[in-house]
Amino acid sequence: MLSRSADALFWLNRYIERSEGLLRTLHTTYVLSLDKGPHINNSWKIIFEIFSTLNEEEKKEYENNSEKILEHILIDSSNVNSLRMILNKARENARGMQDHLTKEVWEQVNYMYHRINAKTIDAQLKTNNEIPVIESLLKNCLLYTGIVDSTMSRGESWDFMNLGKYLERSMLTIDLVEKYIVGNDLSEEKDILYWRGLLFSLSGYEFHLKNYRSNEANYNVLHQAVLNSNFPHSVLYSLERMKKYLENIVAANDPTDQTGLTRQFGRVYSSVQFGDVDMILNTGVTDYLSQLRYNLFQFSWSFSQTYFSYS
Amino acid sequence: MKVEELLAGYNHGVAWDEMHDANSVRQHYQPIMERLASMEFPSIKQYHQMASELFMSQGVTFTVYSDDAGIERIFPFDIIPRIITGAEWAKIEAGIKQRLRALNMFLNDIYHAQEILRDGVVPAWLIASCPHFTREVFGINVPYDLYVHISGIDLIRGEDGGFYILEDNLRTPSGVSYMLENREVTKRLFPNLINTSHVRMVNNYPLLLHSILLSLSPRNLRQPTVVILTPGIFNSAYYEHTFLARQMGIPLVEGRDLVVSNHKVYMKTTKGLEQVDVIYRRVDDDFLDPITFKPDSILGVAGLVGAYRKGNVAIVNALGNGVADDKAVYAYVPAMIRYYLNEEPILPNVPTYSMNDAEQREHVFKNIDRMVIKGTNQSGGYGMLMGNKATEEEILSFRTKVQKTPREFIAQPIIKLSTVPCYIDGKISSRHVDLRPYALCGPAGIEIVPGGLTRVALKEGSLVVNSSQGGGSKDTWVID
Repeated sequence: MLSRSADALFWLNRYIERSEGLLRTLHTTYVLSLDKGPHINNSWKIIFEIFSTLNEEEKKEYENNSEKILEHILIDSSNVNSLRMILNKARENARGMQDHLTKEVWEQVNYMYHRINAKTIDAQLKTNNEIPVIESLLKNCLLYTGIVDSTMSRGESWDFMNLGKYLERSMLTIDLVEKYIVGNDLSEEKDILYWRGLLFSLSGYEFHLKNYRSNEANYNVLHQAVLNSNFPHSVLYSLERMKKYLENIVAANDPTDQTGLTRQFGRVYSSVQFGDVDMILNTGVTDYLSQLRYNLFQFSWSFSQTYFSYS
Repeated sequence: MKVEELLAGYNHGVAWDEMHDANSVRQHYQPIMERLASMEFPSIKQYHQMASELFMSQGVTFTVYSDDAGIERIFPFDIIPRIITGAEWAKIEAGIKQRLRALNMFLNDIYHAQEILRDGVVPAWLIASCPHFTREVFGINVPYDLYVHISGIDLIRGEDGGFYILEDNLRTPSGVSYMLENREVTKRLFPNLINTSHVRMVNNYPLLLHSILLSLSPRNLRQPTVVILTPGIFNSAYYEHTFLARQMGIPLVEGRDLVVSNHKVYMKTTKGLEQVDVIYRRVDDDFLDPITFKPDSILGVAGLVGAYRKGNVAIVNALGNGVADDKAVYAYVPAMIRYYLNEEPILPNVPTYSMNDAEQREHVFKNIDRMVIKGTNQSGGYGMLMGNKATEEEILSFRTKVQKTPREFIAQPIIKLSTVPCYIDGKISSRHVDLRPYALCGPAGIEIVPGGLTRVALKEGSLVVNSSQGGGSKDTWVID
């Protein structure tokens, strides 16, 4: 497979995964912001920090204007992390290697692109239709996942796409957990209401209620988001998937420095696979997470050097 | 609704009308006109919108760039198919095959022995002064002596109902994806009608093309590597490149994906370098190799012509075909047919006046209201003067230009292209059309998929069908 195509497939899925994360986080924050409870002030800040390029002053200005926030996060072309820009990039990647995508996948990406760029969406956001808009976009992200799953052939394209998807997912989970935890003393009891924002954003609220019975919500949430291999948005689960796709890619391509790449990934993986909550707490949650993110960046860089360097 | 009501106000008198003769609807158009009449106008309109949406959702678009923001446009599509009978098609097919045989022989001759110049059939100065006569490829042998593998010959139908050849398009003709997509859309609009009308199929085009590309491989391999070379996503025909790559299951590469080493072409893959055997390039000659042609081009591959000269890679279409696309050389194609094949041309050229000849030039300007003057190496409807529409001033300034560089212009009588029915602004109106069938030449012979792209001038009275000048397209049916 052409290096350029592999690169584009990898990024196509990263961007779609990012869109899904953005929409889910936005939906959660928006809906929760309507409940006037004790934890609301925190919520928009997290969205801003992950998905916008606003400076402190602008953030203040936007904070109490949900219409403006939604516009900024969803369709503002001057925000490079807005959904519109992310989907534009996703489609640009898809367009560049359509020969590797099935017609169905291409049409879905194309549909999402036209949807987010249509003039109608600006109007809908202004007329109290914001929740249906976000939900329908989110549904389309899920539809994309389904279409990819049932139409794309298994093989190299599939491996590169999925590696991108799960890399993005693990990074997003790390980001979200970090933002929710930073500045909080975890030994201080927080009730589950505080964590709802994080859990909904990771699509894991119900999972949490079903699987964690003890009162130690703080540690339970940390465990679920990082270490629970049954939870599809956990860091561990994402890394497990990445491991499999990486092995496939290495086996199919036999790169000259393959052991370097697998060793590098193995180090990251083992720090999660063999980790536990106590270890994370001893290291310090933020230290642990930022180390993890740094290592993933490093791995992603080496991976691109090995397979994507074509220009 | 009756057919007469459907056609109320339909003007079939401006030129040869393919649907309507002096009195009534021609027989081969009756089923479709009856079908449309039975639909009533509101649902015709619905079909029209549905077709546009289908093109949009499939991404069959080209991008217009303004203010940094790309705007996606579809190539306007008219839902009423253009119908050609089997008998008419047989003549078109024979005529194109004959022409392509002669043109292939001409290109081989002109880049080797040049006998046609020695024998004085084509004047040597004409070739020497042609900007597309590519000295860099002189003497290069190409597989099976084939130069024109893919052609999109433009045909028009004159006022007498006969077909004429307007242009040969032997370099990188585009539009074949529209021919195929138009048919797919029509299948969804008029499934029963396609079935009962016995419309000949076109969708094997990519397979035919693929087998020709495979057969040109210089290495004798079971599975040679065939690629399409595209200038990239900013090219207006980019959709077509991806379409063909997907339909043939071959990689779509850009110049930066390729590299030449030791006179062999490789592509950069995740597995390392992989040798490329055949390149179907959609990049013009000038941009193909910065070492040989334009040094600042980044669309091509450095050293490609060297590999081509060595015979290590086949390039489709061959380099240097532009010499036969020159409109002044075009005038000699009937002579080529006589010279190489000893046959009379089956399809005539449009009469062409050389502006280099003082007498002919005088004649053209005397009768300018019936003439169109064209640049010999212009396309897309640019750089031409329609004598009947131009003002005195425009004619005068054009005349000065022509006199300065007469070799760069030719003139042809204005031919009223035939008309067909189109759905426009809520009613059925007649519009002028041309026809571009796509012919494929391989070692086993020439194949032409029955049909082609019908381009239509959507502006009332306009004779310019180019998409850059407000043209659209139609599905084209060859029926038995």
